[in-house]
Amino acid sequence: MDRRHFFTGAATAVAAASVSRVALAALPDAHTQSSTATAAPLLPPDGRPYNPVVTLNGWTLPWRMNGNVKEFHLVAEPVVREMAPGFKVNMWGYNGQSPGPTIEVVEGDRVRIFVTNRLPEHTTVHWHGQRLPNGMDGVGGITQPHIPPGKTFAYEFVARRPGTFMYHPHADEMTQMAMGMMGFWVTHPKARHPLIAEVQRDFCFLLGSFDVEPGSATPKVNTMTDFNTWAFNSRVFPGIDSLNVRRGDRVRIRVGNLTMTNHPIHVHGHEFEVTGTDGGPVPKTARWPEVTTDIAVGQMRQVEFIADEEGDWALHCHKSHHTMGPMGHEVPTMIGVDHRGIAEKIQKLVPDYMVMGDKGMADMGAMEMPLPDNTLPMMAGQGPFGPAEMGGMFTLLKVRRDQRPGDYRDPGWFKHPAGTVAREVPGDSAPPAASPATPPATGSPDATVRRPAGHGGHAH
Amino acid sequence: MSLVHRPFRGRPRRSDGDRPPLSLTHRAAAAALALSLAGCASVSPDGGERDVQALVARNPIVGDAAPRRAPDDASRQAVDALLAQPLDAQAAVRIALAHGPRMQEAFATLQLSDADRAQAASLPNPVFAFGRLREGRELELDRALSFNVLGLLTLPWQARWAGQRHEVAKLQAAQSVLQLAADTRRAWVRAVAAQQAVVYLRDGQAAAEAGADLAHRMARVGNWSALQRTREQLLLADASAQLARAEQNALASREQLTRLMGLTSAQSAYRLPDRLPPLPVSMPTLTDVQASALRDRLDVRAAQAQAAATADSLGLTQATRFVDALEIGAVRNTTFSNDADGGRSTQRGVELALPIPLFDWGLARNARAEALYGQSAARVRATGLLAASESREAYGGWRSAWDVAHRYQTEVLPLRQKVNDEMLLRYNGMLSSVWELLAETRASMLAVNAAMDAQRDFWLADTDLQLALTGSSPAGLNALQTSGDSVATNPAGAH
Repeated sequence: MDRRHFFTGAATAVAAASVSRVALAALPDAHTQSSTATAAPLLPPDGRPYNPVVTLNGWTLPWRMNGNVKEFHLVAEPVVREMAPGFKVNMWGYNGQSPGPTIEVVEGDRVRIFVTNRLPEHTTVHWHGQRLPNGMDGVGGITQPHIPPGKTFAYEFVARRPGTFMYHPHADEMTQMAMGMMGFWVTHPKARHPLIAEVQRDFCFLLGSFDVEPGSATPKVNTMTDFNTWAFNSRVFPGIDSLNVRRGDRVRIRVGNLTMTNHPIHVHGHEFEVTGTDGGPVPKTARWPEVTTDIAVGQMRQVEFIADEEGDWALHCHKSHHTMGPMGHEVPTMIGVDHRGIAEKIQKLVPDYMVMGDKGMADMGAMEMPLPDNTLPMMAGQGPFGPAEMGGMFTLLKVRRDQRPGDYRDPGWFKHPAGTVAREVPGDSAPPAASPATPPATGSPDATVRRPAGHGGHAH
Repeated sequence: MSLVHRPFRGRPRRSDGDRPPLSLTHRAAAAALALSLAGCASVSPDGGERDVQALVARNPIVGDAAPRRAPDDASRQAVDALLAQPLDAQAAVRIALAHGPRMQEAFATLQLSDADRAQAASLPNPVFAFGRLREGRELELDRALSFNVLGLLTLPWQARWAGQRHEVAKLQAAQSVLQLAADTRRAWVRAVAAQQAVVYLRDGQAAAEAGADLAHRMARVGNWSALQRTREQLLLADASAQLARAEQNALASREQLTRLMGLTSAQSAYRLPDRLPPLPVSMPTLTDVQASALRDRLDVRAAQAQAAATADSLGLTQATRFVDALEIGAVRNTTFSNDADGGRSTQRGVELALPIPLFDWGLARNARAEALYGQSAARVRATGLLAASESREAYGGWRSAWDVAHRYQTEVLPLRQKVNDEMLLRYNGMLSSVWELLAETRASMLAVNAAMDAQRDFWLADTDLQLALTGSSPAGLNALQTSGDSVATNPAGAH
């Protein structure tokens, strides 16, 4: 993320090659992005000045000024998004990536967005949260004709209020959002705003969920609830970049939810306040300190805090299944089940069989077992002290005293001051629980109470 | 189709006269020849063993096995040596042909026919008649030595006809040999496949058992309900029932093989190989299966020989149509007058007895002969059609059995293995449970079994094809034998 990955010149021309010649003459460049790294903030080269955001594992779309109009060019197209190293998913996105590039404008800007459709089916774009003319709202069939494949439509409106917004299709949206079509929109205030603080670090990411069958590469678009891949900006831990800040920075994190369930986003080590929603900045009198904020479906939350505690602090969705890779939801709990004699029997039939899950699922984080192709382990990632046993919506807020302003590079693992790491208490060894030798009686009203001797423990 | 016309060549009642009836002088000469041969008409010392061996030699079903009339010490030792090794199909056929009770029965039947042949070629015994007549004092002694002249005259026919019958019997015995070899080969294939199935179903049962055991432990520590546990137990019960059925099937098919080889219970502990032979690598194409069946099949040849013999016998019927009991005798009558001079007179002469064709003009006998001929001609045609059709059917069956078995081996089983591998990867990722893994393993066992069934069916089809092309009807020897028996009613012997 210390480099810019923007394509220039020739590459842009290639990317725009399928747009018709006539349209091309009038269209701004369709910038495209092939890297999944977090791009450095795009300092505005022209137009009104603002303090740019950083899109986690993403980038901001460059624009051109046409008179006093900011012109952007979005291309809706199939993309291959690497959700984590070695795990590539066939998605639909914008300008080479899913999510699409972040669009950053300033309050009062007149904005013209050209949208070219290179998908196999029609699409539209809905500018989620914007005040705009009804005919620019992007609801296919209702407020506008659909954009047919191969066609380019233009949207034009004034970004009237500052805040955090999104864009996404409103045509066959169940399919198109399940395939990853979404993007961020930030409207910066044009001047100092009493409810919008100046921040040193401004991060944004969208919450997305996908159902990718293990061993496959295309999300199942008909899934309603049972997703297995939970993502920040279509990346999953350990493929998600960390949020690297200097100690004492005021940090803003903007999160939008385009999944089908709510996500309690939790930050370790700090309290924050929710300073804004899709509706705009929250009045100061309405703010209260939190360490977790629930982001409902279709909502945006903007949280702020002073990063005054050094360390590597977890930042994650608090739904524990959302911090895991794909897992078998029908796999029964094996905890406490005696495998003696049976494992050998199964190995005779399936030589590579290993007992897993009889002590819990932590085995999964520690073992490197072959998995189906293009499939994430259920939990992964290695920390300085061992397996992280995480996947999905999980990353780290890295606070360092010596992180330079404007430097977003990963500083590496935190070096704990002596005596500040939890440690083993010497000389005490309590045995682990759940010995299968003393089974509880199933079916009894209180399964934790041991029955008198002679009871076989069978269900009745 | 030339086959259908061939038996008509010998039809005796042709009007074009290209085969005139034998003249009397010819017949006399033939009788003389028959007389000279009569002494040589004896039963064959080896019971036709060598003739049958020659007929089935180099037949692919029989291979290098030799049919034996009865086991001797050498063949018993050879059988013991074969039983000491894992028994392959060829060894099973060798044992059955050297040792099997059906083989001995076939040779006994052949011997019966041989005895009939020898009997028919023997000269009729002369008849000596003696009469003592008294009239008053006069005594007359009549002595006559007579021969059934007709029997003598027709002896060459009788001998030839019986010889032809015996040739047919040899062909039938050879068919029995091929049938036994084919039955043995089929039984061997079934026995090996059934034994192989048991091995795989045992693995399937072990998988179900592991699942049920684990389910029980799951329920015991409270992770599973009675419903879930019981479902796994149900799978085990089902797998056990399948295994029991397969074990019974293995036992039954092995006993079938044991019976065909004629083994005693002491000998029945032989070992079978673990698996069936692999499929031939590719399907050969047979250009004309029908032609080869019509040329080589023994039942076709037997039916043709039968028809020829019947046709030949019609010549005999013609000859004996009017005179079926011509007798000639030398008569010497001595008359004693018993008077004083003790005079006696002797008459010498020849007596000829000839039935007068007043009521029986031989028409019925002739009609019967013709009907018999028509019957055997029809049988030739039916056998030809059967052979052609069966050869086509067997070849088609062989090809599709090869296709199916080949597909199982090159597609189904590798894909099945791939599914297992992928399921293991899913288990590794905790994406699926050990029960799904075990269920996949069980499904694999069943797929392997289905593949083995296909391989077994191929080898059965292969045996059927060999038999249909070179031996006999894969299903129809019994019918043939039954129909053959009715021809044995000898038209010439009807008096």
